[in-house]
Amino acid sequence: MATATKYIGKPLKRKEDPRLIHGLAHYVDDLVLAGMLHAGFVRSPHAHALIKFVDTSKAQSAPGVVAVLTAEDVRGQIGAVPCAAVLPDMKAAPRPVLATGRVRFVGEAVAVVIASDRYALRDALDLVDVDYESLTPVVDPEKAISKGAPVLHEPSPDNVAYRWELEGGDIKKAFKQADKVIRQRILNQRLVPVAMEPRGVLAEYKPGEKTLTVWSSTQIPHLLKTQLAAMLGAPEHSVRVITPEVGGGFGSKLNVYPEEAVIAHLAMRLGRPVKWVETRRENFLCTIHGRDQIGDVEAAVTKDGVLLGVKWRIVADLGAYYQLLTPLIPTLTGLMLAGCYKVPAIRIEIIGALTNKMSTDAYRGAGRPEATYYIERLMDLIAAELKKDPAEIRRKNFPQPKDFPYATPTGVTYDSANYQKSLDLALQKSGYAKLRKEQAKLRKQGRYLGIGLSTYVEICAMGPSSAMPAGGWESATVRVEPTGKVTILTGASPHGQGQETSFAQMGAEILGLTPDDVHVVHGDTAAVPYGIGTFGSRGTAVGGTAAYKSLIKLRDKLAQIAGHLMGEDPQKLVFGDGRIWSKSAGNKSIGLIEAIGAAYVAKTLPPGMEPGLDATTFFEPSNFTFPFGAHVCVVEIDAETGDVRLLKYVAVDDCGNVLNPLLVEGQVHGGIVQAVGQAMFEEAVYDEHGQLITGELMDYALPRAGALPWMETHRTVTPSPVNPLGVKGVGEAGTIGATPAIINAVVDALAPFGVRHVDMPAKRERIWKLMHEAPPRRAPRAPAKAAARRQAGRRAK
Amino acid sequence: MKVQGQILLAAARGQVWDLLTDPAKLAKCLPGCEKLEAAGPDRYKVSVKFALAAISGSYSGAVELSEKKQPESLRIMLEGKGTPGFMKGEGRIRLTEKQGQTELRYEGEAQVGGMIAAVGQRMIDVAARRIIQQFFDAAAAQLRSSVPGA
Repeated sequence: MATATKYIGKPLKRKEDPRLIHGLAHYVDDLVLAGMLHAGFVRSPHAHALIKFVDTSKAQSAPGVVAVLTAEDVRGQIGAVPCAAVLPDMKAAPRPVLATGRVRFVGEAVAVVIASDRYALRDALDLVDVDYESLTPVVDPEKAISKGAPVLHEPSPDNVAYRWELEGGDIKKAFKQADKVIRQRILNQRLVPVAMEPRGVLAEYKPGEKTLTVWSSTQIPHLLKTQLAAMLGAPEHSVRVITPEVGGGFGSKLNVYPEEAVIAHLAMRLGRPVKWVETRRENFLCTIHGRDQIGDVEAAVTKDGVLLGVKWRIVADLGAYYQLLTPLIPTLTGLMLAGCYKVPAIRIEIIGALTNKMSTDAYRGAGRPEATYYIERLMDLIAAELKKDPAEIRRKNFPQPKDFPYATPTGVTYDSANYQKSLDLALQKSGYAKLRKEQAKLRKQGRYLGIGLSTYVEICAMGPSSAMPAGGWESATVRVEPTGKVTILTGASPHGQGQETSFAQMGAEILGLTPDDVHVVHGDTAAVPYGIGTFGSRGTAVGGTAAYKSLIKLRDKLAQIAGHLMGEDPQKLVFGDGRIWSKSAGNKSIGLIEAIGAAYVAKTLPPGMEPGLDATTFFEPSNFTFPFGAHVCVVEIDAETGDVRLLKYVAVDDCGNVLNPLLVEGQVHGGIVQAVGQAMFEEAVYDEHGQLITGELMDYALPRAGALPWMETHRTVTPSPVNPLGVKGVGEAGTIGATPAIINAVVDALAPFGVRHVDMPAKRERIWKLMHEAPPRRAPRAPAKAAARRQAGRRAK
Repeated sequence: MKVQGQILLAAARGQVWDLLTDPAKLAKCLPGCEKLEAAGPDRYKVSVKFALAAISGSYSGAVELSEKKQPESLRIMLEGKGTPGFMKGEGRIRLTEKQGQTELRYEGEAQVGGMIAAVGQRMIDVAARRIIQQFFDAAAAQLRSSVPGA
């Protein structure tokens, strides 16, 4: 990494923001093409039903309607929804783009209506008459995999998509040696990602040129291009995917959806541009959901709280079909179940269950928040059981800094870390010792303060290709234009992460320019070399490294040219202020533009050198990165109402080196807010009939500003050895680290009531019941005394 | 969603039974009923207009009577679908004579799907109770007008 830091590591404001703030950005819905038609989908109100008959006649003849198509009309013309995950013995659960004969979740598309305007479209959607014969749905994943449950897909008669098992170390010995075995069922409820911008697709086919252009609000334009070509049987070189501004993805747009293929097909079929923009209700029903796991843990520990071995059994609710990575996400949970601790022995069984619900897939953290939540809850359960401080239990089980790279029993190798340091800093910054005293004092007054810790490690910078379903590298082309301006084309597809700024900082630093001289281009498959995309906190660690390497290639080339022009050793030249300076001979320099000019005019180049200034790198990382940190959350619970108030939040995150601390802070803030969402408010609830009863923002509670505490963020810096920038990634850290910190704080606050675990979300109703219905029944008016009595009673037993 | 309740109707059991099994009379009790016509023995085709807060729409479907034990009890099944989704329900009605009047007890289960379930869930119980109340109010009114001297 460059040692000079005029721009790298500086908190520059985002170059992206002015256009976003001023409303000058263009999302799919803003795009208008001449002759454009509007499409909408008729969706199943049944969770499980046979389609007996679809009567499209009334809709066909409605004013403004161009066409109404069902599965029958596109049969053999559009391939099934792709799934990139391949697991041993995984059963097939293919999803046709339009439901064929049977629907398996509420919201599954049955027909598509195309009309000349949105109003005509909306009216016509109601005129499509679908006759269903309802089947019994299966909603609960544990019921789904038990005997006699209705079957979703014939290849999987027990609704088990796969079983994923992993064992490391001697688990039998661990449990034989244990002083204590701690058991708990821990739930990770289903969440809806709720990106601010719903999905949207616009497609245009030019029959003369035979080119198909698809604008989609996606995180993976190149992978989408390849998949669309395959689904539509179109030559890939005639397909172009453009990702305009994307208003949030969080993993929900790391996918290939039926609508993308159908809209592209319609543009080709009808010879006119066709647009579909998802409604918020559709976004709830048929954009992927996240989490939804039931975890059962058994941990063998010594009386001092040293982990000997852990057994996990996890039932993951996959929903009705596989989307792009659906089956894979729970296995990421599996890989990270050792957390940041020495776990000598582990046994993991993960069962993927098929249910009549929308598919689950990658949602911010994708498998790791679940793992971190499980193990961080477990550490607190151990501390509570042994009556020890949770910080002490954690410290006791950390590997030492000298142990890195550290191989876990789950088969991954953590790159670098200093868990002690981040925990110490978090305890110090939060005033932990003082908080504990304050807590004891307040308890005597009948006030319930809770202090929650989480020390997490996550897996980022996805990833080495050997461990990824479809390539884990990333590309970048850097072009220095003849006028001295620089273009970075990145195969990553940032959609809010701020890489237009951080990559420009890198370019400015390396070439001695300003960030304004550097423009970052992404999300257009016709302009940018093939890339993988933005997800799994990989944009900077993998995509940024590719850009860095291309920048270095061009800097070296420019140094060669300048050295040749100046008669100096290229190794001894430095770049700064738009000039190339000689370190050896006083202040001798030439303008960068002179060297650039020489590269393009090509009359004074060193002998044998190619003209032009264009460099491409396909960077393949050698490993994942493993960011880590320690979070402290303080809550107070109102004994009268069960209301949980977040008083204080201190986050220490270590994401290695940092290109722009402002971006890092923003990511941590946003991540914590989404973790607050899971811990306190959000829950996608399907009723027993498979109806999503939290299908809109009135019923699905997102965290609001008023519910949030002041978030204090700090960093430790442990560079990653995996890439030359030493960066690890931070896009998901907040979501991963914060959920257990919050729930641990809630459980800690409720300790006087004998509560050892609380399921998310920590709703008032749930908390109030725990406080008032916990045996023995207690009077809310004199909580402190009652608690003391019960504590005494328990000791006497 | 489970519904159950009871109502005392000022009419003889036979009259109440007649009302429940006569499509013309039944149609007058059903709130928002636009059409109710026989479609086979004990089977009727219905169209109703129904509004649940902002979600209003027309439903068409069928009502079926079964397990008839005149004049004591019968089973009602109904299903309908419309623009806001679908509804399905079945229940049992029992009639008992009580000092010249008739006590009607009902219990059943109803299910809704589609937009009406996603958006209307919070209001559905209240709405269902209201509709049932309207049904029996209308039934009571009809019975009153048909009972001589009432």
